Amino acid sequence: MLTRTRILVWILAAWILACSPEPPSGRDDRRAAAVTAETAAPVMVAMGDSLTAGYGLDPEQAYPALLEARLRAEGHRWRVINAGISGETSSGALSRADWVIERLQPRIVILVTGANDGLRGIDPDLVGRNLRALVRRFQKAGALVILGGMRMVANLGGDYTAAFEALYPAVARETGAVLIPFFLEGVAGDPRLNQADGIHPTAEGYERIVAHIYPAVLGAVARKEK
Amino acid sequence: MLHRRFVGRVLVQSRRQAAVLALCTALSLISLVALEGFAAGVRRTLIEDARRLQAADVIVRANLPFSPALTAAVEGLVEAGRIAAVRVHEFYSVARAAGGPATLLSQVKVVEAGYPFYGAVELAGGRALAEVLRPGTVVVEPAVLERLGMAVGDRLHLGETTLTVAGVILVEPDRPVDLFSLGPRILAGAADLEAMDLVRHGSRVRHRYLVRVLVEAQVPAVVETLSRAALAGQETVETAGGADSRLKRFFDNLRFFLGLVGIFTLLLAGLGIQSALTALLKDQERTIALMRALGATRGFVTTQFLVLVVLVGLAGTVLGLTGGALLQHLLPRLFGGLIPAGTRLGLEPRALVEGGLLGVAVVFLFAFLPLYRLGEVRPAAILQAAEQTLRRGPAYVTAAALAALFFVGMILWQVQDPRIGLLFVAGTLALVGIIWGLTLLVLGGLRRIPVGGLVLRQAVRGLFRPRNATASIMVTLAAALAVIFATLLVERNLNATFVQSFPEDAPNLFLLDIQPAQQAALAAELGPAAAFYPVVRARMEAINGVPVDRDSERRRRRDNLARTFNLTYRDGLLDDEVLTVGRALFRSDWPPDRVQVSVLEGVREMHAFQVGDRIRFNIQGVPLEAVVSSVRDRTRDSLKPFFYFVFQPEVLAAAPQTRFAALRVPAADIGRLQSRIVAAHPNVSVIDATAAARDLGRILRRLGTIVRFFAAFSVLAGLLIVVSSVMATRAARIREAVYFKILGARQAFVNRVFALENLLIGLISGILAAAAAQAGAGAICTRILDIGYRAYPAATLGLLAAAPILVMAVGMAASRGILRRKPEDFLRRQDA
Amino acid sequence: MAILEAESLSKRYRIGPREISVLDGVSLQVPEGQFLVIEGPSGSGKSTLLSLLSGLDRPSAGRVRIAGRDITDLDEDQLAPIRNGTIGFVFQAYHLVPALTAMENVMFPAELAGDPRAAAKAQALVRRVGMAGRADSFPHQLSGGEKQRIAICRALINAPAVVFADEPTGNLDSASGAAILDLLTEVHRERRTTLVLVTHNPRISATADRVVRIADGRLREDRSHAP
Repeated sequence: MLTRTRILVWILAAWILACSPEPPSGRDDRRAAAVTAETAAPVMVAMGDSLTAGYGLDPEQAYPALLEARLRAEGHRWRVINAGISGETSSGALSRADWVIERLQPRIVILVTGANDGLRGIDPDLVGRNLRALVRRFQKAGALVILGGMRMVANLGGDYTAAFEALYPAVARETGAVLIPFFLEGVAGDPRLNQADGIHPTAEGYERIVAHIYPAVLGAVARKEK
Repeated sequence: MLHRRFVGRVLVQSRRQAAVLALCTALSLISLVALEGFAAGVRRTLIEDARRLQAADVIVRANLPFSPALTAAVEGLVEAGRIAAVRVHEFYSVARAAGGPATLLSQVKVVEAGYPFYGAVELAGGRALAEVLRPGTVVVEPAVLERLGMAVGDRLHLGETTLTVAGVILVEPDRPVDLFSLGPRILAGAADLEAMDLVRHGSRVRHRYLVRVLVEAQVPAVVETLSRAALAGQETVETAGGADSRLKRFFDNLRFFLGLVGIFTLLLAGLGIQSALTALLKDQERTIALMRALGATRGFVTTQFLVLVVLVGLAGTVLGLTGGALLQHLLPRLFGGLIPAGTRLGLEPRALVEGGLLGVAVVFLFAFLPLYRLGEVRPAAILQAAEQTLRRGPAYVTAAALAALFFVGMILWQVQDPRIGLLFVAGTLALVGIIWGLTLLVLGGLRRIPVGGLVLRQAVRGLFRPRNATASIMVTLAAALAVIFATLLVERNLNATFVQSFPEDAPNLFLLDIQPAQQAALAAELGPAAAFYPVVRARMEAINGVPVDRDSERRRRRDNLARTFNLTYRDGLLDDEVLTVGRALFRSDWPPDRVQVSVLEGVREMHAFQVGDRIRFNIQGVPLEAVVSSVRDRTRDSLKPFFYFVFQPEVLAAAPQTRFAALRVPAADIGRLQSRIVAAHPNVSVIDATAAARDLGRILRRLGTIVRFFAAFSVLAGLLIVVSSVMATRAARIREAVYFKILGARQAFVNRVFALENLLIGLISGILAAAAAQAGAGAICTRILDIGYRAYPAATLGLLAAAPILVMAVGMAASRGILRRKPEDFLRRQDA
Repeated sequence: MAILEAESLSKRYRIGPREISVLDGVSLQVPEGQFLVIEGPSGSGKSTLLSLLSGLDRPSAGRVRIAGRDITDLDEDQLAPIRNGTIGFVFQAYHLVPALTAMENVMFPAELAGDPRAAAKAQALVRRVGMAGRADSFPHQLSGGEKQRIAICRALINAPAVVFADEPTGNLDSASGAAILDLLTEVHRERRTTLVLVTHNPRISATADRVVRIADGRLREDRSHAP
């Protein structure tokens, strides 16, 4: 017991000194300054958690930057703003939706959240309510919402994972949001496409993700560019 | 040729000086022996702790199922009878009470028979784990039962199966330390793993092999074999002690620090030896001169005194080793709470021999110069009471160089990292050099400036008494005091950083991720004791338009600008805050559209922010540029939450935010409160810091005791130096006292002059020491201990007052016999 | 009137079982302004007599009075003002305070007495003995003769009634010794200070007002010279 508390206290001390309940998040977006100048371009907001922020990678390697590059390469002058926050739950996302809407006035929102809720074993009903509210709020502000589906790790138990996975199609159905059935399709569970922690994609993993979601995004862009 | 009777006579006549000499020797040994005992205890404890912490000698980890090659390697070693191994699966899962709706995220650990290799899982009722954990059962932490409303014997759904709760875990030896652990422990047997069906493709599981190596010496070979079989980047193999834990680093640092204190004690004791021996020889000067005058050779005289030094040194060594051995009984009490009960702090024969050799080495090292100088004494000079100045010849240089080499060697041996060692040596030399220079400067100034007041002038003149080694005494004393001051300053800083973080009223329960809408309900639940703080997470992008260099920021050892910051907003200062720059938190004279931010003093360690600097934040994808309006500091470092950046409410009130709550709750109520909060507000994370805070406080108070304990040795050594320096100037002081009396001075006048002289020596040494200690302690805190540094001016002033008084008191006590001399006795001796 | 009175002074030392008598029943009256020389061979007890007369030591029996005051039973602190103001000392071994300059040595007794004109008085005295140029030297920088001149100045600065001098020329060559002696006699004449001088130098005895001779601890001879 002694041993444990001793280690514990040091971690606690470290925490107090840093007052940061979370590890330093991913690399920053150096392009922000350059991008703000281009206010004319329509805004697409990538709303989400560490999977959006690009935990452990350069911001240029996370999916929002890759997506913007691909859109521009194909002649779509959109700004894709990375609004991902590592460690955020759906409740956190909901609480900042208004801020993002007010400040960024997005035309399209790619919403990928809920993974942290799942890893914390949070009641799927609550996650579902949050997702629904999020989508409706963006839609009300005139944005087209693409909802990235999540699956939960199998170790949480069949009851939980089943309830969790069912949330995304249900919300998409109810709200009319565009659904990407599983955001990490082809990437999750593949050691070559994930970092050592087994859950955060590598740069290559993000390229796969962009390839996977691009048709849905392009569809949304087409609808908004009309 | 040894004249035994002569040596005996001298010993009796100069018994006081001899006693100081022996005490100095003993002191250096006691402190070394105590340190050795401490180091050995810590070393043993760390190894045992590390094993217990991992419950194994070697651990193989992976986030994915083990590769066939690795599994084969483990099985091969098991079959060869070289190791025992158990597989451990650990993962989160949602457990449900059978027949009820309540669910709970739990941390499940599935173990094979044989777990744990070291330490034991303690169960309520005292039964053994192997007895209780049968197929079809689990043992759980109390929180599982509490949160699911269950009792022992009830059934629990876990994955695809249902298991019976057979026991309650009190202590688990290798519970991973995770302050943000999301759920309580469920410990299950490997037999039920398949039925759970939770470990399969798409599961997030920590896989481990715990390995016990049957022959301890084979640990490296086993690690080698397993490492070769492991998949690079996916499977890691490490020994229990191999992890470079924060704890180990801390103890290394502490041992290093205490080692340095020990070395300084040794150095001071050495100087004490030199000074006491000089005093002894001075006491015997006339005898020596007469012996020389009667034809005694230099060799004869030196032999007599060498024998004497050896005798006294031996007495000191025996005394020191005895004291050290006795101290071993005190150590466990001193270190209790840091080192587990039952740890043997015995003194090994090797340590005794080492200690003895060191004692002899120090005695000879420091006795060399005074003994050598015996030969330089000219009989006529002493008999005629003429003044004689000893030149600093090659012998002096040799002795000094030898002593310096010895200590450099000791320090390097202690540090084991030559770079830090040399840095430390260079720093010490520079400090001593600076002290020396300053001492000469101050003395030179004192000598020149006219001093008013008879008593004061006599005292100042006393400093320049012929053959008075005032400068050396001051430097020695200043060095001793500097060590003591520095030790105390470092201890205070350690205290401030850690202990004071946990005052009795510190919050012990922290709530994260509270949504603004939940605050009112929670405030009602928690009562007025709970403080809520808005938290707006943001990152810093640029300062005055220059982007923050994230790569170099992240390489910093301590806090850095690349991390995510928690911003907050409010109008005023907190109770424990003061403004250090600016008159108000925010400027009313700035245009309203300018965003203002107040920064905490602590941030300025990362970047020297000035009022007027522009900081661009990225608040969840939204860029925001703020101008620094004021700088705040905290009045005490406690566990109370603090924020680096404070904005005006109107700027951030609309920003996405959570609330952070901190409150103090009686320990007994925490469990219930926690389940109530989680039930009502499932998104809120609750962190209980009670036990940890309590234990940390206790452990650190212990640390303080240990540091003080070792510092006390250097205090003692410093005082012995004062005593021996008074003894060394004994003859000159007696003469002066007699002259004063013959010329009509009262006893009180003589007392005042000598007291003032000691006071002056103490004061000047104290001031120099304080300056050196500030520099030294600052360097130790920031460079070696890696903590912040505060100067503690009030405490320093206190020390500055205490040091001269102590020096004066000790000096007066040592010169009591001198001052009471009647003039006639002295004059008779002079004329005889 | 006698400035210095000794009444049956005896001094005995006990060394182990033996008792040694150094001085035995010496009585002496010294009138104010007299130049008294105490003569005697080595070990005769003359230095002991001087110590007792000056209050540096305490007699085994008998009494000592200086300027009418009985100092026999005074303790060290009660003796201090007498040593400071009534008595001046000049020693064979000079006994200057090594840490003080010549000037400071001279001033010291006056400063102890709180005399505000200490510096001026000292300067005058130092000039008088021809040491003005060496006033800032430390004792170890002075020759024997120079040290003794400074010691004389120091003995005189508080204008004492009695100056005791114990073999003041004992450590000096004959030329310096003669000069010191001349200085002492001159000063004695100028100031009419009582001067008690211990010596075995017959040349000094010739200049004295009175010579007493001590042998084996007893007063053997007491002869006065006409002034």
